[in-house]
Amino acid sequence: MRIRPGARTTRAFSLAVAAAMMVALPAGVADAAPAPQVPTADATASPSPAKADAQTLRIATSGFVDSFNPFTSIYLLPTNAIRYMYEYLVQNSAVDGSPTAGLAAEWKAEDGGKKWVYTLHDGMKWSDGQPITSADVVYTYRQMMTVPALGTANGNLVSNFAAVDAPDDKTVVVTLKTPQAPNPGSEIPIVPKHVWEKVSDPATFANDSDVVGSGPFTLVSYKANQSIVLKANPNFWRGAPKIDRLQYIYYTNSDAQVQALRSGDVDLVTALSPTQFDALKGVDGITTHSGEGRRYTSLSLNPGFKTRDGKPFGTANPALADVAVRQAIRLGTDTDTLLKKVLDGKGVLATSFIPASFPKWHLADDDPAIVTFDPAAAKAKLDADGWKPGPDGIRVKDGKKLQLRMMVDADDLTEQSAAEYFAPWMKNIGIAIDVQSTDSDTISAKSTKGDYDIYFTGWSVNPDPDYQLGINTCMNLPTNTDGTGGTSQDGYCNPKFDALYNQQRSELDETKRQGIVRDMLRMNYADTAQVATWYANSLEAYRSDRFTGFTLQPEKTGIIANQAGYWGYLTVHAVGASDQAGSGANVGLIVVGGIVVVIVIGGVIFFLMRRRRMADVE
Amino acid sequence: MTANTVPPTEAVIIDEMGAEQAPRGVPALRYVGAKVAGACVSMVMVIILGFFAFKILPGDPVAVMARERQMSAAQMDQLREQLGLNKPLLEQFWDYLVNVFTLNLGESYVYKTSVASLIGQYFWNTILLTGTAAVLAIALGLWLGQKAGWRHGSTFDKITSGSSLVLWSVPTFWLGLILLMIFGGTLHWFPTGGMVSPDPPADAMGRVLDVASHMVLPVITMVAVVYAQYVMVMRASLMEEMSADYLTTARAKGLREDLVRRRHAVPNALLPTVTLVFMHLGGLIAGAVTVETVFSWPGLGKLTFEAISGPDLPLLQGTFVVFSAVIIVMNLFADLLYRQLDPRVRS
Repeated sequence: MRIRPGARTTRAFSLAVAAAMMVALPAGVADAAPAPQVPTADATASPSPAKADAQTLRIATSGFVDSFNPFTSIYLLPTNAIRYMYEYLVQNSAVDGSPTAGLAAEWKAEDGGKKWVYTLHDGMKWSDGQPITSADVVYTYRQMMTVPALGTANGNLVSNFAAVDAPDDKTVVVTLKTPQAPNPGSEIPIVPKHVWEKVSDPATFANDSDVVGSGPFTLVSYKANQSIVLKANPNFWRGAPKIDRLQYIYYTNSDAQVQALRSGDVDLVTALSPTQFDALKGVDGITTHSGEGRRYTSLSLNPGFKTRDGKPFGTANPALADVAVRQAIRLGTDTDTLLKKVLDGKGVLATSFIPASFPKWHLADDDPAIVTFDPAAAKAKLDADGWKPGPDGIRVKDGKKLQLRMMVDADDLTEQSAAEYFAPWMKNIGIAIDVQSTDSDTISAKSTKGDYDIYFTGWSVNPDPDYQLGINTCMNLPTNTDGTGGTSQDGYCNPKFDALYNQQRSELDETKRQGIVRDMLRMNYADTAQVATWYANSLEAYRSDRFTGFTLQPEKTGIIANQAGYWGYLTVHAVGASDQAGSGANVGLIVVGGIVVVIVIGGVIFFLMRRRRMADVE
Repeated sequence: MTANTVPPTEAVIIDEMGAEQAPRGVPALRYVGAKVAGACVSMVMVIILGFFAFKILPGDPVAVMARERQMSAAQMDQLREQLGLNKPLLEQFWDYLVNVFTLNLGESYVYKTSVASLIGQYFWNTILLTGTAAVLAIALGLWLGQKAGWRHGSTFDKITSGSSLVLWSVPTFWLGLILLMIFGGTLHWFPTGGMVSPDPPADAMGRVLDVASHMVLPVITMVAVVYAQYVMVMRASLMEEMSADYLTTARAKGLREDLVRRRHAVPNALLPTVTLVFMHLGGLIAGAVTVETVFSWPGLGKLTFEAISGPDLPLLQGTFVVFSAVIIVMNLFADLLYRQLDPRVRS
């Protein structure tokens, strides 16, 4: 046998590596072990002092991040993080979302709502210890008003601003172009002037590490597609949160998020499907929470799109321009059954596009304007309107069949199943529904162009209804016949509605404004450009063996994550000091170590045996 | 002389003779030239397709981005202008070409950074995952394949072929989720996703083990669904060699059966698998999409998945072009290498 010169060296090296692995492994495992135990107060030997006794709430996410720049970021996840990082002048209350103190302790509207005067709290500080003054507010607002690129995210909120001034350190005066009732200080994150004026190009600034902020948490670090870490801000004017850190952890797949919650890799998961939600019910250490969301779902009925100057566009069936047909569709739709069967009851019956979680503006179920499911009345309405049943039961008028297309998202089980209920109901009253299953991008493109009869849609609504009402006015219709140049919720246009819109916008008496808004909702309900079906609950689950004390918005029935505010994580605190899960990864490490050792030893043995056998034979 | 009867030593001799006999030079150049030209044509097609295929997709990226936001028309126009979507199509195509040929690949809508640098960042994560899986799958598949082929019809063969084919037919997504549920969610043996723990250990060894523990489930998933193809090819190609005369010679020399297989049959049977390995290497990166999505592995596959949901057109175009380029280059390599390894292709 010819032995290669390197063989002995190789064998010696293999043995050395194996030995080194044996020695190094226990040390490596011991060092790595405390890492997953962060969410408790358990201060076992830890390689990193920063997390020795840190209480970290870990939230599973799959959200996009463009940046954490409050002027330009438009995705949901960073927008939420920005809510925690920067306080507004006026915050949305946890109780019902109405305006409550933010940086401003109090405010008053003067000159019929044309001038708003805000007074800041005393002694507020940024997270770096610098004082928060009216100069920061003025700097932020003026940047948005004067630099178009800095209006990307919230430019619409300052479009009515004429001037912003600071007569002294504690006072901010906002002068508007036209009077407005919605508080102008809402929803705009105020940034620290002393930090941002040193940034060379604020429009492209990513703002993704060591952020100086004024909210309950400030961003520490961001690793794309891996994690976002925020730490508690001890200088927050309402007092520091009760946990030390928030950590968003990336999971591409929602089933993986559920497994991560079960194994204890994360503490909170949101946006669960009803199946996932039910599967987590009763699991030890986990509490499921179904909260009233701020999103409505509706069937949009295309009344015939027009541009702002009256040019018709789109492909709506002309029959839908007839309000009697649209009303008949509402009468023939059993939204109660849809909620119970399709959504498994995990939601609230809808009346309009303002969800029940905003009780100040919502149109109540028992409002006299609300009609109930009544197929007989639907048939009578169509009969009276001249739609007569044909031989196949489908109604005909002027030789045209009452046949409507309905787009449903092929990826959305809820829409698919709702359509299966809806089509037979319509057939029953004499309307043929042609269900067209397609992808969400096509639906989005076609709905913009008015190229549909019926489709499922929905919006997340803000605490102040002004924007949502606004996109139902003629003033907001598209300017071009391809549907661009304006955002219209359902192509709805009624000059009377517009008149009420202008009235509510400058009505400073909140009770009166509520009355006007409800009148508008009733009008929209009667005109039936949409049939609101439900307000789906937000399905969430968390490790109740580790954390408790989440504040809901709205109170009692509301949600934890994705609030229009920072309340959810402000009051949450750790349960005791025991760590139930979290040993998972240690076992994983030991198993991996074990596998490596076995492979190395096995390889060495194999190598030696093979050498011996070869020597025997050849 | 038929292919099956060329013992490895003779193959080497023929190879050496060929090299000395020069006339092979011109056809070789022509062969290489033809293959390279073919690859270039494919690449040009890919680049053109990369732009138009995604442009004809329905949907306005700005509308999708603004879907959950209360944005005014002016703000949406502003966004369109920032993303260059208000330019005429031909101008956009020109910009795209410039971006491709300067290897910058445009700026991602979501990440606000150049697609080339994004791909550069995520490339190594994917290589770590898929490379490990490929090495394991190839080693396991070839080893099982030659064992099974040598004793084809035996119980070992039936079990090996059967189980590998069953795993080959299992949907990757499903297998991944099941493993995740059992070993992540229920037994807590392995992390449920990602590449590193949110708070990774401070020491180097701990970090290596941390990444390794995150790799176990995705690697097992990838190996399980692909090793069957190596088993099958290796098994079939070894069976072809089994009746060859040179094996009889080897046995007549008094070699043990084990050595006859390892020294003589397997090296010859390995040839067809070379092409397969290279083609697989090309598909490695693209093939990671499903596994990376299930296990939230921060690699190119996940990047692509998110680009589709975005829709982040520049990123989507960039990953499409890069994936295709890798496959084209690897196939070209396979063609060239095969010719170098197997004298039969040259004759």
